Amino acid sequence: MVDVIASVGHAGLKMTRSLRETLALAFGIIMKLLDRRMYNSAMRMVLVHQIYFTSLQILPLFIAVSVIFGSLLIGIVFQGLKSLGLTNYLGHILMGFVVTELSPFVTVLLIALRSGSAINTEIAVMKVSKELRTLEAFKIDVINYLFLPRIINGILSVLLLSGLFSIVVLLSGLLYSKIILGMSLDAYTSVLVDAVQFSDIIVLLLKCCTFGFFIILIPIRSGLSASDELTSVPIAVLNGMVKVFTAIVIIEVLSLIIRFI
Amino acid sequence: MNNTIDRNRMNLGLVSPDVPLLSNLDVWANIALVRQYHQNVPSDEAQRLAVDHLRRFNLEAIAHHRNATLTAEERFYAMLLRAVMVPDAVIVIDRPFLIMPDLKDPRFINNALKTVEDLFTQCHIFDFLWDQQRYRMNDAPQS
Repeated sequence: MVDVIASVGHAGLKMTRSLRETLALAFGIIMKLLDRRMYNSAMRMVLVHQIYFTSLQILPLFIAVSVIFGSLLIGIVFQGLKSLGLTNYLGHILMGFVVTELSPFVTVLLIALRSGSAINTEIAVMKVSKELRTLEAFKIDVINYLFLPRIINGILSVLLLSGLFSIVVLLSGLLYSKIILGMSLDAYTSVLVDAVQFSDIIVLLLKCCTFGFFIILIPIRSGLSASDELTSVPIAVLNGMVKVFTAIVIIEVLSLIIRFI
Repeated sequence: MNNTIDRNRMNLGLVSPDVPLLSNLDVWANIALVRQYHQNVPSDEAQRLAVDHLRRFNLEAIAHHRNATLTAEERFYAMLLRAVMVPDAVIVIDRPFLIMPDLKDPRFINNALKTVEDLFTQCHIFDFLWDQQRYRMNDAPQS
């Protein structure tokens, strides 16, 4: 019995310590985000590369997913609304569910799977191959040079790609509204505009920023936890990706709670 | 060696197997990184400077190569050029024969240093005493 309590306590302490360290790193990064001096030429070059790798290289896949998944889903939503006689709620469902919930969720899953895992591996490999020591030897701040551009890029990518997903889905909605409900462009637009709420937009933006911040911060932190052995790389990536998934669920649940309070 | 590093921490240019080139950067970017980060030199200008320095060793062709594709000698040159990018650099070369295990002629290191002698203020080479013979010298200080 004592052993069970001890192991639960040990796990609790470990989790608390990990959470505290992650939040401390997050605080340090936020402070540096606000410091203009951090945006030097080297950091900007990394930022441009990261935007290319995360936001541009993913575009063909992302647009394909948006068109296929978004169009199918919106078709089902329209058909369901028509058969249940709930077409009056069309705007609220599109803006309240598709734009503010589904878009960031699909986007963050794709970015976490693709870029989160890549960043986790990259940092772990840099740790194993002593490249972080190189930065230290030349007095290059790891947070500024490595972490800051990746996190800024994470935030930008989630914001922009969520917007793109929403646009693709709403354009599909335009097509379905014509075919299934016989709506005109004007009627469809006014239904959407009437359904927009300022608070939803704020929650959406905050959610995208939080998603973007944490799906990059957590892989970075997990990458740093790798030891000097190559075999620690897959373990760091595995742990990191599990934590990323947990963080996505927590942020999603918190945003839902905030919206419905 | 640690004393030398501590004394010159502000302008230390370290060439060491424990301080490798960054594998996700091209050679020119590894060399230019110090200037870009500490002096905010624009990337175009920093690239030009790095390629000019590589030209001293007739190595401008490797400017866009990555660490994994370099020969040991090319890697040493790149590490040396990265070190001399530190302003008023004090170069510390740590166990060069670990960076270039197959190096036969130690004059290679001297020649490399002579090629960039205008870019640093001091240079210290540290190695194991039992490697003394590889430098073809018998009176190396034992510190």
